[in-house]
Amino acid sequence: MEQPHDLTVEAPRAWDRPAVSVPVLVCLSLVGGRFASFSTEANLFTLGTGGVLIWLGLSNRVPRRPAPRRLGAGAAWWAVPVVVFGVFEGVTFVLAAGDDFPTFSRLADPLLEDQLTRSAAWFAWLAAFWGLVRR
Amino acid sequence: MMRALAIGGFLTALILFGVVEWMARREGSRIPTLGEVCAYVMRYEVGPVPVGRIGLFGFWWWLGWHFLAR
Repeated sequence: MEQPHDLTVEAPRAWDRPAVSVPVLVCLSLVGGRFASFSTEANLFTLGTGGVLIWLGLSNRVPRRPAPRRLGAGAAWWAVPVVVFGVFEGVTFVLAAGDDFPTFSRLADPLLEDQLTRSAAWFAWLAAFWGLVRR
Repeated sequence: MMRALAIGGFLTALILFGVVEWMARREGSRIPTLGEVCAYVMRYEVGPVPVGRIGLFGFWWWLGWHFLAR
């Protein structure tokens, strides 16, 4: 018997479940973490993974969560961390004082030299990217 | 001294991101989560072109390339 449309729920695809997507992202992150900065491999891997995710995000191949039609006044709270970060990044970038008054990138570089930290950063980047694709 | 100021400033910003996200996830909160803000931005289209999606994907890809490949 045919079910009414509003009572049916689309079953999630197998690859769309966290049990599948998380291990895939972990594997990609471990591979990405092996490539040093400025290497051809790191550039190609960033281009490849990012390119696939952008392609998935711009096509209709991945189901998306419904987006809010409008944001309330509470959204203004997000300006607080954005402005604080923007002011520090802007001032440190303009002054260009090197390690004496470093930009966020300059502070992150030594941390990202460690392979495990680099893999964790890869995972955070890919997981957030996957989250954006699903939105 | 200036180095400590920069580190403190960036740490403050990161902590503030976490605090606002935590406030947004509380029951009955009127603050949207960061994901909801991103989803709203990605709804923006100019004609058939999903400008919001392209812009946010481009920014996020650049961020990863900047930190992980450059």
